[in-house]
Amino acid sequence: APAVLKAQEAIKWRFQTYAGSALGQEVTKPAIDAINAAAQGELEIELYYADQIVPTGELFQALQRGTIDGVHSDDDSMASPTPLRQFGGYFPLATKHALDVPVLFKQYGLAEIWEEEYAKVGVKWLSAAGQDPCNFNTKKEVTSLADLEGLRLYTFPTAGEFLSQFGVVPMNIPYEDAQVAVQTGELDGMAWSGITEDYTVGWADVTDYFLTNNISGAWIGSFFVNQQRWADLPDHLKTIVSSAIEASHTYRNQWYWGGEARLRAQGDKLQLRSIPQEEWKVVEDAAVTFWDEMAEQGEVAAKLVQIFRDYKDVTSKAGPPYTFG
Amino acid sequence: MSYELIALLMFSTMMLMLLTGQRVFGAIGFVAVVAALLLWGDRGGYDIGYSALIKLMNWYPMLTLPMFVFMGYVLSESKIADDLYKMFHVWMGGVKGGLAIGTIGLMVLVSAMNGLSVAGMAIGSTIALPELLKRGYDKKMVTGVIQAGSSLGILVPPSVVLVLYAMIARQPVGHLWLAGVGPGLMMAALFIAYIVIRCALNPALGPALPEAERAQVTRAEKMRLLRAGLLPLGIFAVMMVPFVKGWTSLVEASAIGAIAAFIAAVLKGRMTKTVFLTATRNTLGISCMFMWIILAALAFGAVFDGLGAVKAISFLFTEQLGLSPWVILILMQLSFLVMGSFLDDTAMLVIVAPLYVPLVGALGFDLVWYGVLYTITCQIAYMTPPFGYNLFLMRAMAPPEISLKDIYGSIAPFVAVMILALTLTMVFPQIATWLPNYVYQ
Amino acid sequence: MSFMRGYISWIDGMNRLIGRITMFFLFVLMGILLWSSMSKVFFLPSLWTLEMAQFVMVAYYILGGPYSIQLGSNVRMDLIYSELTDRRKAWMDAFTVFFLIFYLGVMIYGGLASLAYSLGNFMGSPLSFFGKLIAAFVTGGPAAAADVMGYIETSRSSWGPVMWPIKLITCIGLFMMLLQVLSEFFKDLLRLRGEEI
Ligand code: NA
Ligand code: NA
Repeated sequence: APAVLKAQEAIKWRFQTYAGSALGQEVTKPAIDAINAAAQGELEIELYYADQIVPTGELFQALQRGTIDGVHSDDDSMASPTPLRQFGGYFPLATKHALDVPVLFKQYGLAEIWEEEYAKVGVKWLSAAGQDPCNFNTKKEVTSLADLEGLRLYTFPTAGEFLSQFGVVPMNIPYEDAQVAVQTGELDGMAWSGITEDYTVGWADVTDYFLTNNISGAWIGSFFVNQQRWADLPDHLKTIVSSAIEASHTYRNQWYWGGEARLRAQGDKLQLRSIPQEEWKVVEDAAVTFWDEMAEQGEVAAKLVQIFRDYKDVTSKAGPPYTFG
Repeated sequence: MSYELIALLMFSTMMLMLLTGQRVFGAIGFVAVVAALLLWGDRGGYDIGYSALIKLMNWYPMLTLPMFVFMGYVLSESKIADDLYKMFHVWMGGVKGGLAIGTIGLMVLVSAMNGLSVAGMAIGSTIALPELLKRGYDKKMVTGVIQAGSSLGILVPPSVVLVLYAMIARQPVGHLWLAGVGPGLMMAALFIAYIVIRCALNPALGPALPEAERAQVTRAEKMRLLRAGLLPLGIFAVMMVPFVKGWTSLVEASAIGAIAAFIAAVLKGRMTKTVFLTATRNTLGISCMFMWIILAALAFGAVFDGLGAVKAISFLFTEQLGLSPWVILILMQLSFLVMGSFLDDTAMLVIVAPLYVPLVGALGFDLVWYGVLYTITCQIAYMTPPFGYNLFLMRAMAPPEISLKDIYGSIAPFVAVMILALTLTMVFPQIATWLPNYVYQ
Repeated sequence: MSFMRGYISWIDGMNRLIGRITMFFLFVLMGILLWSSMSKVFFLPSLWTLEMAQFVMVAYYILGGPYSIQLGSNVRMDLIYSELTDRRKAWMDAFTVFFLIFYLGVMIYGGLASLAYSLGNFMGSPLSFFGKLIAAFVTGGPAAAADVMGYIETSRSSWGPVMWPIKLITCIGLFMMLLQVLSEFFKDLLRLRGEEI
């Protein structure tokens, strides 16, 4: 090593995550901390939480212009201006477990499609991972599909579009306001996450029931960087950023997988409820129709739906644990 | 230049700009966009200002602001508060200082029907003040009574200040509003106690109405006037009950309140075309004033946040100075008081509260309780020179025999009472937290 | 000078008209919120009410802004200012009004960038995008203009309204505010020349 290191101006990034500060500690901060530690002062990333610098609706354009340099979010809730928009977040009933996501990206070609589509709109897509399933937590008890009728739920745009056929009224407000919105009567609950997030961010304090049926088994979320900023980054720092993000997927995997089981089994704030599988079949069938509609949106959408179908075909032939039995 | 230095520079430049007398939103917005351009340059520096507009659009509880402002203007312009005043007048007139006590009562009722202190100020200075002066009440004392009484508008629910705080601290508005009830009533009681004591010591300050005048009012008339008191309670209930019960959401409740006040004025035959147009126009004016200030302050706050000011403040208080939670809390309140007496308090809330509130939460304090402390601090900031809305409004509305000196001189004892109320609420949090805990448990 | 007078009367008149229309948005807002609470009780809650109310609210205070300047509703910290003579006030304002103008200029530019994004302009300056858009419209009509536009931004909600109308309204409102502030500047100049306003 050289005896005298040339004093160099640190590269500074502002990074905003979709998560509020309580959740952000688990889902985004570990990656950022690891990058900062490994970069030894050459790259310093400042982490901001939901809506802190720019409102989530403006996140994407802020990323393009470089108002913020990096983002952790999903294509759907950040209103991505790509044909991928509906397929990030929770594409209805597309996955069963968090591990399905890296398989789809690395073995079934989603990574190339994501890379390509974001390059077209001036953003560098780095990595996607699966997180928790999309369950319901509500103030009212839900034990049948009819109970969903008229519920105002905080949910993702595409999930909301899908759920509205069952009478759900999807609501969109800033992430950090969701808990209070339940208390002020704006919301009846959420269709946004698994039970770990419900307990972590305080939603379990304001709702009473947790529905074990999910409309998707894993959230598909990505890390993005401003294209120019990525190009300007020296190669060894690129490696640090990418490896730290990949490593953080492992942390999240165990945090969610363990949390979902423990809090369902031992948590004392939410009572578990289920819609019988025979009845839930209606939702699964509706998803098939929904996929067909989505496939008609364009070439990319058709390709993605086909990939989801292919993968589903493989897993259903493979049987448990790839399916529920 | 270090980020701390930039933050300090931004804050001091803003103070300086405000002193030039340019409109508050312009001064704050200017500093915000210049700082954003310097920090971010052409990489999005110009869109911090506008993205604050989208942020403000997403703050849906702000929908309540024009509703509560409109309620206030309907009350003051249509003079439906006249009967309320008369009620206190005939019932309290016989007591020494009774009209002043009645004015405090009037202010509590008016506060329950609108979200700011503007309406209380207007009603107090147009209805109560001339009467009080005519009856030989001490002008300095009554000027103070009206200013202090009207400031209850933001503590007694509904309150726009608590809505704004709720958004920043992410606390439920219902809890905050109910938490304001106890301290609000306590503060009103303390004002009354102060009036009673002063008038007992020196009856010339607030002479009782002569027996002859009181005899003119029949018992039937007295009872009729008592019914006038039902009106504000009715409006308050129509708005608050469905909201607290969860039948309507906050923003819907505010619209219902505004419509209820409007209907009350129509039924009383006071909703003339002039009243309607004046109330509508003034509501636009005041709502715009607030919104443009918040818009600018949000941009300022985003840049401040971008500089890592939140972390810097927490670090300063907890690590560098190593202070205990209570000392930090008291220091924050003091700094709020000092800044609030110079600055516009809406801007203060939007800029400073995001820096303080996370720290207050991290120190383990109840953020609902802190919201009440914050609001009382706001009331004090309203009242104290050199900058205070009450001072402006009083100057604009008071009759000519009340000089600026009277106005400034009148507030000291009431500010002292408010500081006492603040201290009591700090020491006994139950004053604030009992009601929300009771209702929501 | 007669230019200034003409400008003042034109702009003030136009903003007064816009303001007097905008002030009734309050009742539109009330109507939406009332509908929202009624629909919740009697039928299914509506999907669009909260977001629509937010759009109306933004239009209310942005379009109403210039009129609120005319009404003198915008507070100043008049600690020193109120002690000044009218002439000194005019001097001070004529100078400090440039803070306001600068702020509004940056807001408008940011607004145009956001508007351009909502019409599918992802890279490059918003001004050149609007230049291209207008040129295409003039030469080739709506079809050519549509070619210049790209992915049209919709809100992140399931209702998913397009965002450009509200962004356009705010840009217009901010621009009218700029014109109003210039009018205030001209008034100060006239006052400094000792003219009656
Ligand atoms: Na009030
Ligand atoms: Na003050």
